[in-house]
Amino acid sequence: MLALILKRLLTAIPVLLVVATLTFFLMRMVPGGPFDADKNLPPAIVANLNAKYQLDKPLAQQYVIYLSRLAKGDLGISYKYVNRTVIDILSEAMPVSLQLGFTALLLAVIIGVPLGTLAAVKRGTWLDVTAMFLSTAGISVPGFVIGAFLIFIFGIWLKVLPVALWESPWHMILPAFTLAFSPAAYLARLTRASVLEILEKDWVRTARSKGLSHWSTVIKHTLRNALVPVVTVLGPLTAILITGSFVVEYLYAIPGMGRFFVTAVTNRDYDLIMGTTLIFAALLIVTNAIVDVAYQILDPRMKVEG
Amino acid sequence: MTASVNTAGQETEKPVSRVALAFARLKKIPAAYTAFWVVCLICLMAILSAIGVPLSPYSFDQATDDLLVAPSMKHLMGTDELGRDLFARVIYGSRLSIAIGFVTAGVAFLLGTTYGAISGYCGGKIDTMLMRGVDIAYSLPDLLVMILIGVLVGKGTFGILFALGLVSWMGTARLVRAQLLQLKEEEFVEAAKAAGQDGFTIVMKHLLPNAMGPIIVALTFTVPSAILSESTLSFIGLGLSAPECSWGTLASDGWRSLRAHPHLLGFPSLFIFLTVLSFNALGDGLRDVLDPRTRLFKG
Repeated sequence: MLALILKRLLTAIPVLLVVATLTFFLMRMVPGGPFDADKNLPPAIVANLNAKYQLDKPLAQQYVIYLSRLAKGDLGISYKYVNRTVIDILSEAMPVSLQLGFTALLLAVIIGVPLGTLAAVKRGTWLDVTAMFLSTAGISVPGFVIGAFLIFIFGIWLKVLPVALWESPWHMILPAFTLAFSPAAYLARLTRASVLEILEKDWVRTARSKGLSHWSTVIKHTLRNALVPVVTVLGPLTAILITGSFVVEYLYAIPGMGRFFVTAVTNRDYDLIMGTTLIFAALLIVTNAIVDVAYQILDPRMKVEG
Repeated sequence: MTASVNTAGQETEKPVSRVALAFARLKKIPAAYTAFWVVCLICLMAILSAIGVPLSPYSFDQATDDLLVAPSMKHLMGTDELGRDLFARVIYGSRLSIAIGFVTAGVAFLLGTTYGAISGYCGGKIDTMLMRGVDIAYSLPDLLVMILIGVLVGKGTFGILFALGLVSWMGTARLVRAQLLQLKEEEFVEAAKAAGQDGFTIVMKHLLPNAMGPIIVALTFTVPSAILSESTLSFIGLGLSAPECSWGTLASDGWRSLRAHPHLLGFPSLFIFLTVLSFNALGDGLRDVLDPRTRLFKG
């Protein structure tokens, strides 16, 4: 087990390196630099700024400089948020995003898994049809529409919840539900398919014929097995949550990583773009490693290779 | 596809074409069949608008004398701050949104099928080499990669199409590769090889036609996800912006005046939702019809 975790973490390094390299050159190939947008700075000052941040050196040399700094754990500095390092910004933004992400994930599981199970158990009834319509609708609504809808209902119309910023637990409710919406729908669809398959297994029929109650069969014998594929999608789910955070943090003006990423791209804030991208990639790699390990615990028949 | 033709042979006596057969089966799934017609209607709207048929009284220049009025009989969806009729704008915006969806699916089909076919048919080292990069890029969130590529190519229709195209083919490539790896072990491939057919012919004539079902299903899901991505990118200001007009840019404009004029965000959103929902429902139905082996989400 430990060997597996170590191995996964070791393979993460080349992957992160590839991501770093691609992002670095993608960004630098773009015309325009971080100091272009400001109101016409004199060329001498721009040259000075570029020299200060070593942006005047050949690209290959900048790349080497960046990587050697990265190896020391230095993610560089922001060109837009004056005198703040990328690590500084991210260490403030990351807890916010993680808190939002975990809450949304929890909500998605609490809503999605029961909904999918119910739909599968009551297959073909109006309950199933409604649940499946809801979940297909759920993966079809853009996040900003859900967000705007919730803001309009609870913020503007009923005036019961704050619609922006990140100050109290009350501020978390709308963003968390917005972010949870499409993962919940995704989980509901997946759980339904998975439960349906398990319900047809022989041992479920055996459990039934032994006289176990309906729901006891579902919960003890079916759900536990049906949850294996659900756990494996934690990777894609994290990706959905990251993508969702771009929109949700923009909508609700939340100072998280998603919002910093979007503004950094707009501002050509090179090091901040690199920093956020690398953190996102690392987050996904860690999640996928956790999934592999969880997979083995849940289903010992599965031996993960590689 | 021989297997599916055989099972269908029991339902009908005379030989039917594969398309007609799939359509007949689709008819039996009410949700998917309805979705099929909604998709047709929306595409028709986009095409008619593109060839210049005035679908709304304000189609010509969208201009009216009423600024920011709420939906009424005169202006079905109200007007915006420049007095443009929103219904006319939504119809106009459908061209770009629908076109983006289909062009992306087209790119995904061409690039993804070629790449996946080479990788799957050759197998071995070439396969490992070709797929490794795809695996890394595929594990990153689509929108993240699109934003990064978008920065490179710049805003505008071309930039967004480039970013969407570059990201979306990878899913198709993986699918085609997986299908081919499985199919090339079948006996009819061996027979074709024994008959002296070259690799290209085997892929084009024997392997790809058999993998068409799952490919079509995947492409049906590519269209709505491209439409969603475009609108999301435009919404957060990293996609299209004026003078370009898509449902995404309309929604983005509407967001700014949500408090006072919710219709400006509501109607474009409704169209995005309806279109994406229909494509997704159609995709679900097509999966049952064309690709009975795969379940919902293979994990």
